[in-house]
Amino acid sequence: MFFALIVKQLKILSRNPLELLVLLLMPVVLITILSVALGPIMDGNSEMLDLDIAVIQQDDEDAQLESFLKKANESMPIDEKLEGNIKQMLPVTLLLDQLTGNEEMKKFVTVKKLNANELKKARKSGNYDVIIDVPKNFTDEYLSSVFLSGSKPSLNVYLDEDQPVTSSITKSMLDYFQQQYSLLTQLSSSSNLDAAVTIPKIVVASDIETLDNQKSISSKIYYTFSMSVMFILYMASTIASLAFLEKDMNIFDRILLARIHPITYLGSIIVSTILLAMIQMTILFTVSHFMFDIQFEQFGLYVLITFLLAVVVGALAALLSAINYRNNSSGASNIFSAAIISILALVGGSFIPVSELSSFLSSLGKWTPNGAALEAYLKLQQNATFLDIHDLVFNLSMLGIGLLVIAFVLFPRRGGIS
Amino acid sequence: MEFMIEVVDLTKTYKKVNVVDHVNLYIEPGEIVGLLGPNGAGKSTAIAMISTLIKPSKGDVLLNQKSVINDQGSLREVLGVVPQEIALYSDLTARENLHFFGSIHKMPKDKLKERIEIVLQEIGLQDENKKLVKHYSGGMKRRLNIGVALLHEPEYLIMDEPTVGIDPQSRNHILETVKKLNERSNTAIIYTSHYMEEVEFLCNRIYIIDKGRVIASGTKDEIKSILSSEKTIRLKLEKPSKKLVEDLTLNPMLSNILAKDAEISLTVAKDTNFLPMILKLCDQHHVALNSFQIEEPSLEDVFLHLTGRALRN
Repeated sequence: MFFALIVKQLKILSRNPLELLVLLLMPVVLITILSVALGPIMDGNSEMLDLDIAVIQQDDEDAQLESFLKKANESMPIDEKLEGNIKQMLPVTLLLDQLTGNEEMKKFVTVKKLNANELKKARKSGNYDVIIDVPKNFTDEYLSSVFLSGSKPSLNVYLDEDQPVTSSITKSMLDYFQQQYSLLTQLSSSSNLDAAVTIPKIVVASDIETLDNQKSISSKIYYTFSMSVMFILYMASTIASLAFLEKDMNIFDRILLARIHPITYLGSIIVSTILLAMIQMTILFTVSHFMFDIQFEQFGLYVLITFLLAVVVGALAALLSAINYRNNSSGASNIFSAAIISILALVGGSFIPVSELSSFLSSLGKWTPNGAALEAYLKLQQNATFLDIHDLVFNLSMLGIGLLVIAFVLFPRRGGIS
Repeated sequence: MEFMIEVVDLTKTYKKVNVVDHVNLYIEPGEIVGLLGPNGAGKSTAIAMISTLIKPSKGDVLLNQKSVINDQGSLREVLGVVPQEIALYSDLTARENLHFFGSIHKMPKDKLKERIEIVLQEIGLQDENKKLVKHYSGGMKRRLNIGVALLHEPEYLIMDEPTVGIDPQSRNHILETVKKLNERSNTAIIYTSHYMEEVEFLCNRIYIIDKGRVIASGTKDEIKSILSSEKTIRLKLEKPSKKLVEDLTLNPMLSNILAKDAEISLTVAKDTNFLPMILKLCDQHHVALNSFQIEEPSLEDVFLHLTGRALRN
């Protein structure tokens, strides 16, 4: 009998293409769109931040070094150690190392060396965000200005002003390089220059870090879970609307006349919602696994969080049904799907990671079903253990129990015309 | 005398208004009882209370002299209800609907399978049983609506306006089905309707209900005997005449005058020689009398006599 009530619910929902579209297709579409649209900002390795740099080196660094050492030998003795330090300070090599030597930088900086006669063509082509032209005798003049005397030579840098972001980043990088180089110069002039001194690398953070020193969360991971936990909430309003339809069409009366207790009926709403919510999440996660390469390494903990979230959704369906039945209107489920889900989604971080906005929103979000589940899923993606998510498990359990109690209290015990 | 279902002083009050007002009725095994009344008379509320779906403000419903107000299960076990609305899942087929409602009645699998076939045959949907209900005509839905209530072979069947909004052919099919069901299985039926002819065709006893109160009850003949000293005359005129109707209304020998287009119905005392007077009035207003018919009073006439209003407005 209980089984019949659940099978009926599954059949009805499976024959409702519009609802299935909202519950299954919409989240997949949104995960795709948001991952692509907001991924560059969240992931920090976007095409938007790609830097194509051309370096035109008109001087021969080795020959220039040779020339400088000859000149320097005339005014001061240069032993092997000092020669080694000077070799470490070749400005063009250092600059190229800084641009390409860092793994993080390699993700968005591409450096291409061009011949001296290609400068004009490169400037016209518009293929480069930055062109660095190293003039003849640059290395010799630069080293002379540092260790001997004379004016400091300049690099010719051409920036694409149509790309303000990349131009600004390049300026910052060159400024940083200049500062580091000046520091080295200072150290050398203070006779403290030593072979162990190296130019610090520029560190660029590109991923969102929600747990220190743990696996980063890409936009695909974030939106897979944030959209899934948001769209599971629609299951509650969908089932509550279908349940109200049963009252509106006097089917509920027929169910009562078959000597089904109202609480048994409410129980069937809860169990079928839990089942449907679990099926919905399984489908969404399976699609995400194959489409977005999302991995579920701690399978048991994912099942636990999904089950608890599904229980909360089942309790929500029961509560909305109880209010609908009491008011003899589908208003509660309509308001829930039209407004409350959006609020929960915002507070729970389904659109943006609100935990980064304020600690209050972060705490509040953990007491929304979607927010608590989202945080748990993201922590699991970062290889968290049960201990790391036990507070979220507690929140979900409390939400489920609380909503269930209210629903059982509110649900009317008789049917009939109002 | 022991009545199987007895309703005692049943009253339902909403916002200080008695929508059902001290209704008393009974139904014995095997009989068909009609609840006749206009829309809004309180029939559906009375039915909802009798079937234990809403709690009465006052009064009681007894099954074998035991109250069912706090023991709904005892009545629900032997009761089938056909609601006025189509209480079916439109996204399921007829067979799936029957299977679902049979399952929640805890019918054994084999018995349910057998009953589904019998019911589909009784309601004439055996060839269309795999169609989704949403693709059915109004008449087919009404038939399935009845079929669901018959599935568990109830001893008592309550039918609340089961023929509303369907074509005459489907209506006749339903009336025949109800009649056969009663004759074959001895199921007792409470049949509510505002169609006088349906109640006259089906019911052994009738309760006429208006504004929540039972205003007449008894067998067809007993109720009609309320107008036993009168007869109903139906006149067919050449054309409608307001003035003629006004003059007829002023005549103290005539009562219950209802005019519709060129047809007029009225009641007169049985021994009245009414014809010369009517011919004279027709002559005065230059309206030819095409025909006239003398009829025994109908339930419609009784309702008109008791309430001053027609049964169907």
